[in-house]
Amino acid sequence: MELTFDRLTKAYGVKAAVDCVSAQLGPGVHGLLGANGAGKTTLMRMACGVLRPTSGEVRFDGVPIERMGGGYRALLGYLPQDFGYYPEFTALDFMEYLAALKGIGRHAARERSLELLSAVGLAGEERRRIRTFSGGMKQRLGIAQAVLNDPAVLVLDEPTAGLDPKERVRFRNLVASFAQDKVVLLSTHIVSDVESIADDILVMKAGALAMKGTPAELIEAARGTVWEAEVSASEVEKLVARLAVANVRHQSDGSSIVRYVSDGPEVPRSVPAAPTLEDFYLYAFRDEAPFPSPGVSSRAARKGARHA
Amino acid sequence: MRSLVWFELKKMLSRRIAIAMNLGVVLLLAGVMALNVVQARTVSALDEVLSGADAIACVKAEREAHAGAVTPERAAADIAAYQDAAFADIDPDAVLEMTDAAAFSLVLETYGRENAAELNDPYWKTLLEPWHVDGQEPVQTAARVTPEMAADWYGAVAQMTQNALDDGQGGRWEYSEAEREYWTAKQGSVPEPMEYGYTGGWENIINCFAFLVFAILAVCVTLAPTFSFEYQSGSDAVVLATKHGRTRLVAAKILAALAYATAYFSLCAAIIAGVSLAFYGADGFWLSVQNISLSSPYPLTAGQAALVSIGLMYAACVGFACLTLALSSRTRSTLSVFVVDAVLVLLTGLLPSAGVGILERALALFPLNFSNFTMLFSALESYPVGPLVVDLVGMVAAVYVLLAIAAVPAAAASFRRHQVS
Repeated sequence: MELTFDRLTKAYGVKAAVDCVSAQLGPGVHGLLGANGAGKTTLMRMACGVLRPTSGEVRFDGVPIERMGGGYRALLGYLPQDFGYYPEFTALDFMEYLAALKGIGRHAARERSLELLSAVGLAGEERRRIRTFSGGMKQRLGIAQAVLNDPAVLVLDEPTAGLDPKERVRFRNLVASFAQDKVVLLSTHIVSDVESIADDILVMKAGALAMKGTPAELIEAARGTVWEAEVSASEVEKLVARLAVANVRHQSDGSSIVRYVSDGPEVPRSVPAAPTLEDFYLYAFRDEAPFPSPGVSSRAARKGARHA
Repeated sequence: MRSLVWFELKKMLSRRIAIAMNLGVVLLLAGVMALNVVQARTVSALDEVLSGADAIACVKAEREAHAGAVTPERAAADIAAYQDAAFADIDPDAVLEMTDAAAFSLVLETYGRENAAELNDPYWKTLLEPWHVDGQEPVQTAARVTPEMAADWYGAVAQMTQNALDDGQGGRWEYSEAEREYWTAKQGSVPEPMEYGYTGGWENIINCFAFLVFAILAVCVTLAPTFSFEYQSGSDAVVLATKHGRTRLVAAKILAALAYATAYFSLCAAIIAGVSLAFYGADGFWLSVQNISLSSPYPLTAGQAALVSIGLMYAACVGFACLTLALSSRTRSTLSVFVVDAVLVLLTGLLPSAGVGILERALALFPLNFSNFTMLFSALESYPVGPLVVDLVGMVAAVYVLLAIAAVPAAAASFRRHQVS
């Protein structure tokens, strides 16, 4: 089972929202990281067939999804970023409606809907109208509908937005339990979400796929770029304005430990620190930063390599 | 598929604005029809002002007093009898020199209230209609009718159509030879002898079916978000990524829309027809439409004319429902969809034709303009289409059927091709 992006491009006028992205995604959880406007949502919409690429194509097991039509959509589960719902529907109505759209029989739909609503913590809320739901409850409902048809390809665009920490843990467990033998593509701003469950991570920048690798590989790529320095409290503000600061820890003696990412030490007495995925993210998305090299597989990355 | 249609119905009918509009129009129609009965008025032979059920009963009794086939012989004999009664004490030549008000007063003073009322009975007005000139009392018309003229009553009735064709709608429209032949043939097919009688219930349906425009508006309000809400709310991304999102869902939306439009229109039409027939009576379904207007060239019964009227309004309702779906599939703004509908349904009724025949014919196709008896059945509105002539009834039906046929695939294609952005 493989989902392939082949030179996938989406242009709006002269601006390319997604620029010649190629990737092959096998079974497992694939995290998609990128800043706002990096093209993650556009890429996911094309992966789901709800947005036609300007050029290139998406293939599932070698067959263009456009040719597969309903056959591909039957294998698909999708939670869009701005998840639309019907305010007057109850949660169960909504699930059964989506089940009907996904071709699930009425009895199976009821059973599966109740099971999933329970799995996302909405047991007992089945008969409540969605308009009375909190943001987090709506998001959980969206997650439940995405997996209704036990999809082979699950595309989740910012699924943890609006979820509290407990709900995020529940979500991660749900995805982890679900992901076996399935292609899961998950975009998020919350690095820890992908760090714990993603088998590999695709990093997008300015519409292009800038890096691809396992979390460990990406963390390793950031090695030597993370620093910690002890500074006086008065220096912290200036450093935050000047450097990509990941963290500031104030100490009882009035000094502060500043953790920052940079190609080299920028503050006297800086010592190297062990990188995390968040450090990598911060490093990768500094303004116009060239990317670290492992697993690079796109035009932007090639450009970056040439510039380096 | 059935469950998808059901969910689509639930979606469209659970919106507050739709509930308010649908209930509001039903209540409005019920109220209007109640007032239509309560405010029915007539003046009896004894000069009593009657209202409500009494007025309806009085009109019915007047009609039934003269019920029966109007053969040429009966028409001639009844006109002669009318002239005998009317001119027993009045000089026919004198009334021709008078104004209508003076003639009315003279009849009242000469024969008393009861006899004057009898001379103004609708039956005599119908008999004298072929020679009637605007602004004349029946006695004045009767004064001009000779026994020879009365003997050819059906010839005079046929001549009404020829006069209307010559008049060319007051100079606004010059009928082609094909149109003249069309209307002459249609008038010639009206069965003779005409059966005179009471058709109040069916006539009232025809007088009130214009109120079904509100049902069309309610349908437009309800259907406006059918597709546009999906775009507006962002649910398009979810539904279009499902197995049946680009196939059965589109069909379900269209089926649900048409089922709802049909059911709701039927309810509204049932209110108008039900109240009319319950209070005015269902008598006279098979009596000719000439009982409502003698100048009508249509070989229809009053009941058939009422059904045709409602049928045309239903065609318009379906046409506008489909147009709404097509517009809704092209935009995320529900309001703009409804504004277009409202302009076409309501504002076209306010636009003047400025005496331009072709503009009048174009405007006549919109519901507020065609929804009256005169326009549909006696104004001789025809459309020369190449060698063919289509009357307003046929043209309205054709336009809305074609609109529906064109709009439904357009809506389906537009939603299927929709790109989430």
